[in-house]
This record gives sequence, structure tokens and C-alpha cells, in this order.
Amino acid sequence: MDRVSISRSERRVLETLGSQGSPIYIDMLASLTDIPVSQVASLIEDLRSKGLVECVREGYLSIEVTDEGELYRRLGLPERRSIRRLLEVGAIPVAKLAEEVGLTDMEAKIAGMWLIRRGWAEVEEVDGVKILKPRVESEPEPTPDEKLLGDIGFEGLIPIEASRDIMEALSILERRKLIEKDVKHRVSVRLTDYGLKVVRGEVEVLEEVTRVTGDLIATGRWRNIVFKPYDVTLPVYQLYPGRRHFLRQVLDYMRRIWVEMGFKEMEGPIVETAFWDFDALYVPQDHPARDMQDTFYLRNPCLGDLPDRSLVERVKAAHEYGGGTGSRGWRYVWSGEDARRCLLRTHTTCLSARTIAKLKSCDLPAKFFSIGRVFRNETLSWKSLCEFYQTDGIVVDEKATFAHLLGYLKRYFTMLGFRDIRFRPAYFPYTEPSVEIEVYHPVYGQWLELGGAGVFRPEVVEPLLGMDIPVLAWGPGLNRIVMMNYGINDIRELHANDLRQLRELPDWIGV
Amino acid sequence: MPVVSVRLRDFCSLIGLDLSIDDLKDRMPMMGVAWEREYEDGFDVEVFPNRPDMFSVEGLARAYAGFIGVSEGLRRYDVREGGPTVYVDRGIESVRPYILVALIDGVNLSEYALESVIQLQEKLHISYCRDRRKASIGIHDAGRLEYPLTYRAVRGDELRFKPLDFDDELTPEEILEKHPKGIAYGHLVRSYGSYPILMDARGRVLSMPPIINGEFTRVTTATKRLLVDITGLDIDVVSSVMKILVCNICERGGVIYTGESIYEYDTPLGRRVKAPILEPYRMELNLDRACKLIGVNIGVDDALKLLRRMRYDARIIDRGIIEVYVPPYRVDIMHWVDLAEDLLIAFGYDKVEPIIPAIATIGGENPLELFTRKVREVMVGLGFQEVMTYILSNPRDQFDLMRTSRSPCVEIGNPKTLEFTICRLWLLPCLMRVLASNKHNPYPQRIFEADDVVVLDPLSETGARNLRKLAATSAHVEADFAEAKAVAEALMRCLGLRASYKPISHPSFIEGRAASIEVDGVEVGFLGEIHPEILEKLGLENPVAAVEVNLESLYHIVRKRSGSVGSAYEVSNRFKASKSAHTSTG
Repeated sequence: MDRVSISRSERRVLETLGSQGSPIYIDMLASLTDIPVSQVASLIEDLRSKGLVECVREGYLSIEVTDEGELYRRLGLPERRSIRRLLEVGAIPVAKLAEEVGLTDMEAKIAGMWLIRRGWAEVEEVDGVKILKPRVESEPEPTPDEKLLGDIGFEGLIPIEASRDIMEALSILERRKLIEKDVKHRVSVRLTDYGLKVVRGEVEVLEEVTRVTGDLIATGRWRNIVFKPYDVTLPVYQLYPGRRHFLRQVLDYMRRIWVEMGFKEMEGPIVETAFWDFDALYVPQDHPARDMQDTFYLRNPCLGDLPDRSLVERVKAAHEYGGGTGSRGWRYVWSGEDARRCLLRTHTTCLSARTIAKLKSCDLPAKFFSIGRVFRNETLSWKSLCEFYQTDGIVVDEKATFAHLLGYLKRYFTMLGFRDIRFRPAYFPYTEPSVEIEVYHPVYGQWLELGGAGVFRPEVVEPLLGMDIPVLAWGPGLNRIVMMNYGINDIRELHANDLRQLRELPDWIGV
Repeated sequence: MPVVSVRLRDFCSLIGLDLSIDDLKDRMPMMGVAWEREYEDGFDVEVFPNRPDMFSVEGLARAYAGFIGVSEGLRRYDVREGGPTVYVDRGIESVRPYILVALIDGVNLSEYALESVIQLQEKLHISYCRDRRKASIGIHDAGRLEYPLTYRAVRGDELRFKPLDFDDELTPEEILEKHPKGIAYGHLVRSYGSYPILMDARGRVLSMPPIINGEFTRVTTATKRLLVDITGLDIDVVSSVMKILVCNICERGGVIYTGESIYEYDTPLGRRVKAPILEPYRMELNLDRACKLIGVNIGVDDALKLLRRMRYDARIIDRGIIEVYVPPYRVDIMHWVDLAEDLLIAFGYDKVEPIIPAIATIGGENPLELFTRKVREVMVGLGFQEVMTYILSNPRDQFDLMRTSRSPCVEIGNPKTLEFTICRLWLLPCLMRVLASNKHNPYPQRIFEADDVVVLDPLSETGARNLRKLAATSAHVEADFAEAKAVAEALMRCLGLRASYKPISHPSFIEGRAASIEVDGVEVGFLGEIHPEILEKLGLENPVAAVEVNLESLYHIVRKRSGSVGSAYEVSNRFKASKSAHTSTG
């Protein structure tokens, strides 16, 4: 024997259909079952797919009466009102029709035209005056279009295959702009034979349930029911979990790499003095990087304090003639006032300088890293920001060599997911030897510069540390790594905070 | 960094070898120039700013010929006495005090060579000469000159001469107004009220440094004798530029005649200064130290050979001590580490085996960073999306938008845009801006930021310090005070803290719907419903509930409670002054 599973609501629909016996419109069904129309439609769809009901889609004419039509429906058409009056008084001069019947001039014209067209009256000329006279003995029967206009108020719906008379009447009313018509559709539903059997109880019916409820479980009723199957291919609503910013994810990952490699975090002020940002790193005071167009100098605070005098003297000497470093120096007169100028740090390397200055020989060997924001007086564009993150690392170790530097770099970039790494000579004012790191990007199919590194110059280390030992330093190009990973071409997107992007971009997985 | 264009045929003929672009593209970067691009008959390379001697094809070829072992050792140039003399008038001392001149005879100025001289001059001007300020170069056809020369300052209308590329004679003042170079470089001399002029024995103007040369000594491919003048403010730079220029020009042949400048005043080099001095600079290199720095063992013989490839002369003078003669054009060599790097370049960066040394160090994060990450985790768990906005801001956003009164903050002296003129004091305005730019995105929008602001602090070394804060906003139809407070309470609960809340009046929040957050009697933040005027200004149609918290205060409290005794990362000085920090924004 057949079995079918239907929900309670579906059963209600089926039973209503069964009691009606004939096709029934959906809106009607909705009011009979007391289920919202939208829900009825989807129930019908489910029932149809189970072969229990069938639907018929019918076209119909939807009629709307215009304002003019509505007026005539109440008072009667102008010609109807005119013939009544004509029959009463026998004859009316054309020019007096409006006044006599109580019509507007326009209505009087319409009335005259239709009196003649319907053959209810004629015009005679007497002494040069046009006079209307009735051609009928008594008031004519209502015409089909008049009847229709009168009825519309009650029905408003006309089957699309209406009789010829009705269609003609409709077209008259439409031409007279008394109605507007439109073709619409509606669905009527009726039981199939199978559906009829179900209603009669000739088929075994299982109850179908949509939601798993506590009640179902507690009562054990879940054993006797069937859960309604879902269309698993349908789209569902979007969930947006709280997330870290995609840039933060990379920063946190880099932080982990540094820590795993045994580096300790450095920290320092965003507002720096030129001394720590430039002078301590042996950047001469007329170096282009110190220009106003590259560096944000501050109005408030304007000048900061220099560190202890002996350190300042050592830095000054290194710049001017090399001091005790064995260097020739930059050969100019170093200005303490320039070094006091406050600025927004242009790199995180100033943190390395501060850290080295605090080290004692018993702290060695030591490894440090920093991740922080830096500032450049650039014009914001797709390839440059005036504020961005940088990361830096140093190794202070008496036995450190350039070969170690390459070792650290290779390891560091391998942990960032790059397999092929190569090194070539480079130049930075505070390192010697200096090296540029290039990695092969398999997707881009080319070698990319990913950052600079080197051994700090003795002119940097000796004044800060009081001794000349190698300090390895590097700072990978952080933005580039982030942008490559996320396929971002416009660097401004890193801080655009478009929620769509923040919500949609995949997490940084690392490698 | 300066980009130098090289014609392949010219480059090859200078080296005396046929070289392919592909080969050069591979090997030149290993010498220390960055490959830019190649084209039909040549290529562009980026030269590091410390190597002005390679700002032209001659210098690049000289270095590369050594690097690949075609010609090694110190390059010697034919220098003779008997060049031109220039008398330097006392009046120029306060304007542009130094001048050196030299003569090169027998140059062969092919089209390539002329092009190259002009390129070298331009690149030196821009980079090494700091846009002509420290030094500037004049190169002249010496054919019609009569000696001695005079270098002196003239008044703006004292004389007229025909500047390069002009048909009319102009006075110095007119040049500053009308000549493109006068317009571009006039600022270097205008303030002195008089103008440097170099003229020959008959009073004909060679140049008006650092602006423009005279048409009278225009150099053409037919020129056989070149007069070079270098003027400037820094005699070291003037002298270095002279060396680089004559050496590079003479890579194509020619005899250098030493010129002499006779000053009416004292200079660091005396009153009579000869130029160029092309004696190599002698240095000593301790090979053992160099090898320790590099981390590779290089034998003495190899080291000598490698140094010679970098165009030094080198010989062993003592055990492990190498005497190195540095060519005069190598103005970048100031320490033995510079020689060590050259040794390394010649050895080959690609031949150094990367080593990770076995040294034990203990890594670790700054505890405030760890704490901040905890806070971020909580916020993410509460369904908030992290945003990262700029520390740079402006008073309109930081104060006016938020209806707070303007208060002292870190101000930039040379801002490029009105958007970035100060450092932010609090985060909430930044989040409000983010909400304003995301009106097209689906709601609810719950966002947060946990990062630094910068506050003035007269007690700190730089007059300001970083301050870590947290701000969160929730924008949606039903966002209200209760949500803001629930978020703050959830955060406190996760951090093991209990906060109390007191009503406050804050211009950024609806009156009666704002509270301060206090923990252990310390005010750590505030929360509430954002004032409708702010929403209106930003065109936001949803209510916004907001919280802002001073994370350093919280961190301090948490640490104190846990009895933490401090660590290598002691940040106590960060929170000493932080109690008053957030109230400074109103």
C-alpha cells in the first residue's frame, strides 16, 4: 500500500480542498485555512511535488474604473440622462442641452454624440436653431456597456475568454476612458485523484514535521513522524563572525616567527627625536631621508631631550670624523639642535638603536625584534602610505657574521612560506655589508625584493654600545607580503576598513 | 635612487668585450647595482646613492670590467701640472665660497660620450650634490678661453651674458626670472643679493653657478679640450665631485691638467688649492677581522686578487694586514668595513653559505602586546570585527565631529594634507569614520580597534608617549546603552575584573545614557549611546553603542592583582601618567 508523508499544514490544505470539491483560488484557500498566502503557495508547491494537488493558472482581465467612469456609474451616462429629459420635454436646443440636463459643456457634447450614435435622438434645424428631438417613444433598455459599467463595482474580474458582447462593451468603455483593463493571472488548485484518496483515508499517511522540537523528543513522537527533507542546494543567510583584521593576522604570525626564533620584543615611542631615528643610526644630518618632504616633523612637541652627554658626544664624533670607530666620518659639523627635533618615527630601526644603547656586555648574545607603525611624509596613493607597519630584528652577538645573517634570513623567509631565497648586494646608510633579500614568487613567476638587511656599521654600534661587535639587522617588506597573499594591488586597502573586504577575505593560514 | 641608462655598444666597447644583456642582467646585480629594465640597445640600472662614481656608463664599465676579471687593480689617469688658474674674489666668500677648476685635453666626445657626461652631471647634481646646493658642475669647451679665470660675485644687473639655450643676453636677475634653470635653482642664490660668476681673462662669462653656463663655452662633439669647474658650499664635496667627474670622463682617454684656485680668503685647504688630487687613499685591512665579519675564510692571495677586482691596489704588509689603495673616485669608503663589503661582493654573495649559529636566547613578547591580544580575542569572541585605522588624524575628526572641545595633542609641523595634521588621542572618532564609510554594507556592524594613541607627556624624553586603548562600536537598529555595557562587562569578566559604572555627562553621548567605567577606583573608560548629532553629521541612520577603554590602566590593574613582579619588559613608566590620559579628550 502507498505511503505518503504530509505535514499538519499540508493536511489542513488537503482537507479544505476536499471539502470544497472544486478548484479553488489560492487566496481563497488562504482565507479558508487561515494560513498566510505566501505559506499556502509553498505548501501547494510541496503538495504538487507529492502528486496530491494540481494547479491551473488562469488569465483574467482586471478592470479599474476611472474617475470619470466612477462618476457616470453613480449618475448614469450623459446620454442616458439626456434622453430621460428629452422624453420629458419633447425637444431641447443643442445649445441648451447642458443647462437643461445639468451637464458640463464637455458632457453635453459627449451626450449629443452618443444620443445620435445609439439612435435615441436626432437633430433638426428650426429657424436656424439646432434642436434635439427624441427618436424613441420610451426610455431605452440599458446597453451592454452600461450594464457592465454598473456591474464592475461588484465583480471587477472578467475571464480572459469572455463573450463577444462583453468584449465589445469593454472596448467601448475603454475607448471612452471610463475603465482601464489589464491582463493578470491567478492560480486555482484542486485535488488529484491521489490527493482525493489521501483525503478519504485510502492511503497511509505519515505526519511530516519541519523542526526538531523538544516536545518531539520528550514525547518520543519523533518515532512516528517523518522530517521534511530540505533542498540542501538552496542559499542560506550569511554569517559574519568577529575576526581579527587581515593585516593583524599577518602581524601576529610574524610575531610568532620572531619569538620562535628566540627574539625578544622591543618597544618605543612613536614620537621620536631625530637623534634616535637618524643620528644614532649614522644618518648624516643633510641626508635626503631627513628632508621635510620625507619626514613628519612636529610642531608640538617640537624639541625632545638628548640622552646622556657621553653618548651624544660619541655619536657626534662618529658623524664628524669617525670618533674612535676607525672611520673617516661624514666630515661635517654635527648639530645637537637638529638631533633634538621631534618627529614621527620613520622606521622601527630607531627601536634597535635604543635597545643597543641599553645593553650591557653581560646581556649578550641577545636577539630583539619590533613590530610597529612608522610614518612617512608621502602623498597617499595606490603605492604609498604615510603610515604603515614595519618589522625589524637585530642579533647582537660578538661571534655573529654575515653568514649568520644569511642563515637567519633564510630561516625567517622560509617560515614566511618562501622556498627560493637569494641575496644580492644592497646599500643602507647604517649597515655594511648590506644585503637585499629576494624571494621567488611561484604565482607571479618572478623574483621579488622583500627587504633589506645588513651588519650595523661600527659608526652605529660603537657609540651606542661602547664596543664594536657585530649587530645583524633586518626588516622584511611587510606590506608587500600582506598584499601578495591577499591579492591586493592598492596599498590603501590595508587601512581602508571596508567591512565587506574584512568579512570576505580568507584567514591568513601561514605555511 | 639614481637610475643610469646605458647603451650596450658603448658599455661593451669601454670594457673591450662583447657582452649579452641576459648575462649582464644576471651578473650586474651581484656587483651591487639593481637591474631596472632592458630595451633594444641598452638597459637601465639603479645605482646606490653611495656610489656616485657609477652614475655614468664609464664608471659602471670600470667597475664591471674588474668584477668579471677583465681589468684589475687601481686605474691610473694621466695627470699633469699646468692647468688653468682661477682667482677667487673676496666678495664670493659669503655666497658660494669654493671653486675648483681643471682642464682635460684630448677628449674624444662621441655622441655617446657627450650624452654620458650630461647624464653624469645631472645625476651628481640631484643626488650627491643635494640638488646643486652642496656643489654644482660646469663643463665647458676650453677652446676659446683666455686665462686666468676669475670667480666673483656680481650685482644682479652688473653684466649681461648669453645663457645656454638663449639667443639674448640676460642679466643674472633676468636669468632668475626667465631662464628655466634660473626659475628652478634661483632659490639657492637669490637671498644673497649678488650672484656667483666665473669669467675668463677677457671678462667673458663661462657660467653663473649653480644656475647655468654661458652659451659661449657650449660643449659639442667637436670639443677637444674641456674645462671643468666645480663650485659649492662644502669643499670636501666639491673636491670629490671633481675627482669623480675627471676620472669618469678620462675613462675615454685624455690628459688631465691640474688647475689652481687662488683665494683672497682662507679655506680648509689653504689659499692656493690644486685640483684634482688623484692620489689613491691608503687604508689598512685586517684580513682576519674582515673574514670574521663575513663569516667566510679567504686566503691572503685570494683576498688580494678579489680586492684588485674591485679596482683597489692591494698588497700584504704584515701578517694578515693588507695595505689597500682606494681609487680617488671611491668617495664612499670611510671605514675598513666598506672594504670588507667589497671583498665580499668580489667573493660573491651567492657563495656565502648561510649558517644558523647555535646560540641560546629566550624569545618573548612585550607583555602589553600579549595583554592586548587577549583583549582582541575577547572582542572577536563577542562577534566584533577588528579594524585598523590610522594614528594620524585631524582636529575636525578628533574633536569637532565628536562634539568635544579641542585639547592639546601631538601636532605635525609640515603636514601634506588637512586629513593628517595631528596624532589621535582616542579611538572612537576613528571607528565612527569607519562606520560612516561602510553604510552600504550589511548591519549589524560591530567593530573594534585595540591599538595606540599618542598623548603629550612633558615628563617623557620626546614630550609624548604611546598609550594603548580599546574602542568598540555596535551599529544596528537595536544598538543601545545596554549592549555597550554588556560588552564592557563581558570584557571585564574575561579579564577577571569587576567594574562599577557611574553616570557621566559626555558631549559624544546622549545625555543620561553615558557611564564611566571604574575598576578598583580607577576610571578606565566610558561607554554610552552616541549622540544623534554625530550620527547626523556622518549620515548614519542606526543608533550606535560605544565603549572606549584605557588598556594600559587595565593592564596595570590586572598585573597588580596577579602579583606579577615585573619582567624584562617593564612598562611601568607607560602607565604612570596614563590615569589622566583618556579624560584629556573630554
